[in-house]
Amino acid sequence: MAMTCDRVCELASGFVLGALDSGDMIAVSDHLDRCQKPHPEIAELGGVLPYIADSLEPVEAPVWLRESVIAAARADLAAGRRVGKPAEHRIVEPRETSVATPAPVLAFSHAEIATTPASIVSLSAVRASRRRRAATWVTRIAAAVAILGLSGYSFNLQSELRRAQQISDANASILHAMGEPDTRRAVFIAADGSAAGGLAALRPTGHIMLNVYGLAKTQGNEVYVVWLSSGNGSPTSSWTKAGSFTVDDSGRGYLEVDNAPTSSNLWLYVCREANGNVLQPTGPRVLTATIWL
Amino acid sequence: MAEPTPLVLPDDASEGQSEAELMRQVAVGEIGGLETLYDRYHTMAYALALRITTETGLAEDVVQDSFLGLWRNAARYAEDKGSVRGWLLAIVRHRAIDAMRRQRAGVALGDEAVEALPAALTLPDIWPEVSGRLDAQQVRVALMVLPPAQREVIELAYFEGLTQREIADRTHAPLGTVKSRMRLGMVALKDHLVDHVDETAGTMVSPANGKKGLA
Repeated sequence: MAMTCDRVCELASGFVLGALDSGDMIAVSDHLDRCQKPHPEIAELGGVLPYIADSLEPVEAPVWLRESVIAAARADLAAGRRVGKPAEHRIVEPRETSVATPAPVLAFSHAEIATTPASIVSLSAVRASRRRRAATWVTRIAAAVAILGLSGYSFNLQSELRRAQQISDANASILHAMGEPDTRRAVFIAADGSAAGGLAALRPTGHIMLNVYGLAKTQGNEVYVVWLSSGNGSPTSSWTKAGSFTVDDSGRGYLEVDNAPTSSNLWLYVCREANGNVLQPTGPRVLTATIWL
Repeated sequence: MAEPTPLVLPDDASEGQSEAELMRQVAVGEIGGLETLYDRYHTMAYALALRITTETGLAEDVVQDSFLGLWRNAARYAEDKGSVRGWLLAIVRHRAIDAMRRQRAGVALGDEAVEALPAALTLPDIWPEVSGRLDAQQVRVALMVLPPAQREVIELAYFEGLTQREIADRTHAPLGTVKSRMRLGMVALKDHLVDHVDETAGTMVSPANGKKGLA
C-alpha cells in the first residue's frame, strides 16, 4: 500500500531517528523521493538531532588522535582517495556493496540495516538484500561464519597494532624532545601511591609534552585533566587547565600543548575528573611533577 | 608570587572562518581546513562517540573514521542542506552505532562508512541561528522538561540506535505507546528549542517552511 502524506507526517519522528522498521523506512524514503508536496516535518524534526548531541559535555580526545587523523588525510591526499562529485540524493544511497563491506553482513543481519539512522540509512543495501532472497541460506550462513571470524580477528589485530604504533610514536616524540638542547624535563610521581608515572618535556617555545603511564582506565565522560601553575615560589592555589585526555586499557596518556609558561617554575598536576569542563581541580590528584626554571 | 600565565589552547585558533569556507578548503585538499574543523568539533564528536560506544578505543576509531570520511567526501557537502557540524555529528552517530552493532556481531569495522557518507542530505539546518545561542545546559533543560518516558525513547533511539520495536521490547511498553511517545517527545523538544530561541533572541527563526510547529 502506497504511503500517504499524512502517514509520512505520522512517521516523521521515527524516520529521522532511524527508528522505524525497514519496510516503513523504505516506504517513507520512497514517498519523499516521489512526492511533489513539501514535507517540512522531516526537516523540522531532523534538525533537532544535532541538538540532542549538544546535551553532552564535550570531551577532549587523546592528543595523538589529531595527529593520526591528519596523517591519514595526508596519506589519502597522496593516494588520491577523495570524492570529487557532489551527491544529489536526499537520502543517502551508499554503494551497493563496496570491497571493504563484509558482504555476509547484508544477508546475515537484515535487521541491523533496518535500524541504521534515517539520514544515513543504507537503503540501497536493504533493497539489494531483498533482491537476494532467492539465494540459499545455507551458503550464506556458512560464508558469514567464516568471514565474520576472520574479520573480527583482523579488526582486533589492526586495533592492537594501531595502538602499539601510537604508543611507540608518543614515546619517540617525547624522548626526542627531551634530548633537545634547552628543553626542561620532569618526572611525574604518583600522588596516590600507585605505580603510575611519566615524563614531561617543556621546550623553550612553550611547547609542553606529557607522556604518562599506569593510569586507571577512564569511564564514560571521565578524563584526566592536566593542571598547570607557574611561579617562582611554590604552587599557587590558582591552576590553569592545560588540557585533558582519556585512558584506555593500556593505562597510557599523552598530551601536547603550546604556550605553556617558560619564565618560571611550572607545577603540573594530573587529576581524574568527572568530565572535561571543570575549571579548577576537583578530582583526585593522580600525578604531580615540577619543571624547575 | 607570580600568577599562572593563562594558556592559549589550540581550540582558540582559526576562529572566525566559516564552516563553508573551511569545507571549501578541505574539498580542494587543504589540510589546514581539516585541522581547523577537527580543532573546532572534535570534543563534541568524541563525546558523542564515547556516549554511544562507551569505550575509549572504539570512540577514537569512530572519530578518526568520521573525520576521514568528512575529508574524503568534502566535495559532496552541500552548504544549503545542513551545517558541517550537523553533518559530522550524523556521521559520528551512524559510525558509532554501526561499530557497536558490528562489535556485538564480531564483525570488523570496515571502510564502507568512510567511503559512503551521508550526502549533505543530512536534513537541513533549520535553525541556523540556534546553534550559536543554545549551550549544552540549555539543550539538557529542553530534554529534561520532557516527560521521562518520552525522553527515554528518544535517547534509546538516538544514542543506542534502537528501533521503535526494539525500544518496546526493552521498555516493556506497547509498540503503539512507544511510537506515540517518540512523536510527542520530538515535537515537544523541537518546540521547546525554538521557544527558547524566541525568548533569548526575541525573533523567530523560521524552520524550513517559515512556520513553527508541525503541519
